[in-house]
Amino acid sequence: MIAFLVRRVVAGVVLVLVIATLTFGLMSLTGQDPARTIAGQTASHEQVAQKAAELGLDRPLPVRYADWLSHAVRGDLGSSWFTNEPVTSALGNKLPVTLSIVLAGLLLSAVLSVALGVAAAVRGGWLDRAVQGLAILGFAVPSFLVALLLALVVAVKLGWLPATGYVPLEQSPSLWTQSIALPAIALAVGAIAATAQQVRGSMVDVLKMDYIRTLRSRGVSERSLLFRHALRNAAPPALTVLSLQFIGLLSGAVVVEKVFGLTGIGTEANSAASQGDVPMVMGVVVVMVLMVVLVNLLIDVAYGWLNPKVRVS
Amino acid sequence: MRRLSLAAAATAVTLLAAACGGGSSAGGSGGATGGTLTLAPLVQAQPWDLKDAGLGNNTQYYQPVYDSLLRLDPKADPVANLATEWSYDSTNTVLTLKLRTDVKFTDGTAFDAEAVKANLTHTQTGTNEAAGQLKVVKSVEAVDASTAKITLSAPDPSFVANLGSVAGMMASPKAIQAGTLKNEPVGSGPYTLDKAATTAGSVYTFVRNPNYWNTSAFPFDKIVLKPLTDPTAVLNALRSGQVNGAVLTNAQNIAPAKSSGLTVSEYTPGDVEGLYIWDRGGTKVKALGDPRVRQALNYAFDRDAIVKTAKQGLGEPTAQVFNPTGSAFDASLNQKYTYDPAKAKQLLAEAGYPNGFEVTMPDVSAVFPSQQALMTQQLTDIGVKVKIDKIPVDQLISSLLAGKYAMSYFVLASFRPWDTIVIQGQKDSLWNPFKYSDPTVDGLIQQAQNATGDAQAALFKQINTMMVDQAWNAPWDFVENAYVTTKGVTVTPQAYAAVPPIYNFKPAN
Repeated sequence: MIAFLVRRVVAGVVLVLVIATLTFGLMSLTGQDPARTIAGQTASHEQVAQKAAELGLDRPLPVRYADWLSHAVRGDLGSSWFTNEPVTSALGNKLPVTLSIVLAGLLLSAVLSVALGVAAAVRGGWLDRAVQGLAILGFAVPSFLVALLLALVVAVKLGWLPATGYVPLEQSPSLWTQSIALPAIALAVGAIAATAQQVRGSMVDVLKMDYIRTLRSRGVSERSLLFRHALRNAAPPALTVLSLQFIGLLSGAVVVEKVFGLTGIGTEANSAASQGDVPMVMGVVVVMVLMVVLVNLLIDVAYGWLNPKVRVS
Repeated sequence: MRRLSLAAAATAVTLLAAACGGGSSAGGSGGATGGTLTLAPLVQAQPWDLKDAGLGNNTQYYQPVYDSLLRLDPKADPVANLATEWSYDSTNTVLTLKLRTDVKFTDGTAFDAEAVKANLTHTQTGTNEAAGQLKVVKSVEAVDASTAKITLSAPDPSFVANLGSVAGMMASPKAIQAGTLKNEPVGSGPYTLDKAATTAGSVYTFVRNPNYWNTSAFPFDKIVLKPLTDPTAVLNALRSGQVNGAVLTNAQNIAPAKSSGLTVSEYTPGDVEGLYIWDRGGTKVKALGDPRVRQALNYAFDRDAIVKTAKQGLGEPTAQVFNPTGSAFDASLNQKYTYDPAKAKQLLAEAGYPNGFEVTMPDVSAVFPSQQALMTQQLTDIGVKVKIDKIPVDQLISSLLAGKYAMSYFVLASFRPWDTIVIQGQKDSLWNPFKYSDPTVDGLIQQAQNATGDAQAALFKQINTMMVDQAWNAPWDFVENAYVTTKGVTVTPQAYAAVPPIYNFKPAN
């Protein structure tokens, strides 16, 4: 298992390097002129040239990339060209925002999709049809639409929760919860729909298996049968879906953060890319890829915990 | 199972707690109490060091902490502030400022002429917009503690007014020398940055500077700035009372804002949109060298319809590029080119183009789809064959500046008359990519640069008239913005400003 994990970590590092290199190359092909954007529409050619030199844009691309990489491996991701804020500090401010809504969304999806999926598989009938119907609806409606509706109805019309803004957890757990509730729900709807379907399907299959019949005949309680034996075997496919959902939620956060005025990684990625803020884009990409690698690693570990056969293989 | 149950319970409790939290705002802005003013700038804060400072929407970040040498009234005329008097010498190149003697920066350093010198020479070294306005400064001399003498390399009729904005803001000379402004601002303004209640990129909190000399001009005890870029988020934040003021960039949001009881103020920040004719000399497209052809292009556009359909009413039709607030503006010039496609065709025929001519223009449909569609249609109606060149929108400015297109749709800043001339009216202006010049206009510009008062205003008007008569461009309208405030807060729009300065906000009571 350790050798397997080491291989995965090495592959993850290579992945980060490849994506960082590609991103740096692509950013140079966009034709954006950050020096002009910063200096302003009416700045003279000389001012723009001075700004470009200040940003190091007068150097060849390989030199710029080597410079960035040599600093990045030492943990220095540079400073934003537009705000001068160190990228690590900017990401440090924004990462908690995105992680709060994504992890809360993921937790909501995990809990609700298991509850709905198991209920649909076990009860069947109208409940099963209702869950499947809702799942299709939840899957079809894009998260930004859910976000817009929640913001308009729950925040603006009813005034139950804030329409915009983020409050750090350490400042006020209650306000933090309020600030992330709607974005997390908006993100979770699609994920719940997809994962609930997966849990339902797996549970239906597992419940038909011989060992379940055997356990039932031996008098094992229905509760233990469902959650101790059936769900544990039905969980791995759902976990795969959930891990993919995490990556999906990270991308969904770009839009949802905008609707709720949250300055997270998604918003940062959006504005940095549109402005051509290369250090910030690179920082965002590295952090996002690292998160994806980490989640996949955790899922591998979880597989092993859930299914001993994986550990052996 | 136990884990799942715990997770389910935790989620339920979390959501219940969230739902029971009621309507209090996430940022705790306090709303329109008179104590706190919460605004939502459209842009992220730029660096605190004034040499890296931008203008426009960025100014609201600097105004709480940095006081400026002069202040601009709602018409953007300079009034006394840190400088109590100012006057030029006879050549209009040496400006003498008399300064207040009772002002200190928040780090205890005294504000004096040496501080003015330190600031102007420091800001000037930058590459951002504020620095650009100080490039004309040749030297600064501290005559005595309360007198500063600024020498310009050439007369700049906008220079004094620029000292009322970011270019004239004063930071502590001690902090400039120590290089600490990149971490936090140190000024002498009405407020100081509350670092504990500030998170870079999402919320900036400013609390009163207890030693400020003019507290009564700033009625709010606290200023909170929360950058919001999404139009829907801005509208929702206003409607739910989380912010007290913001610009609405989407005209479709104005009606919902009004129906929610918000106050909407429409104003012209200083941008003119329309068809810019870059190749007035006919270098690339020969037809454009004939004034009758350029006049025909002006007659081709139904400006009222464009504003109504493409801008949903947010615009002021115009045939001139000079701002209505400035002395160069002449309302009668707007009647010169009323929509008349028949007249346009006649002028084209007189110029020798009875079947029109062909012109290539850059694609702007990604950002201005309605404008491009209307422009193409109305030009086609008079026989001009428009070929749209697909380029990424990021490359628009560099392509235009490189003289790649003879004419194009564009939005160009138009502030004070002199600014407009510098931006596009002179042979070496940045936005004169084909270096077109007219000796008569050049002569008038030179006279205006050295004149003052009414004589200067008259010259500006003559320049404007020449540019409209000769159809240098075919502008459509002055872009209008909508600034929205919640109940309990009033705001006075500011001429030439993308957003009102913080001192234009007052509690309604």
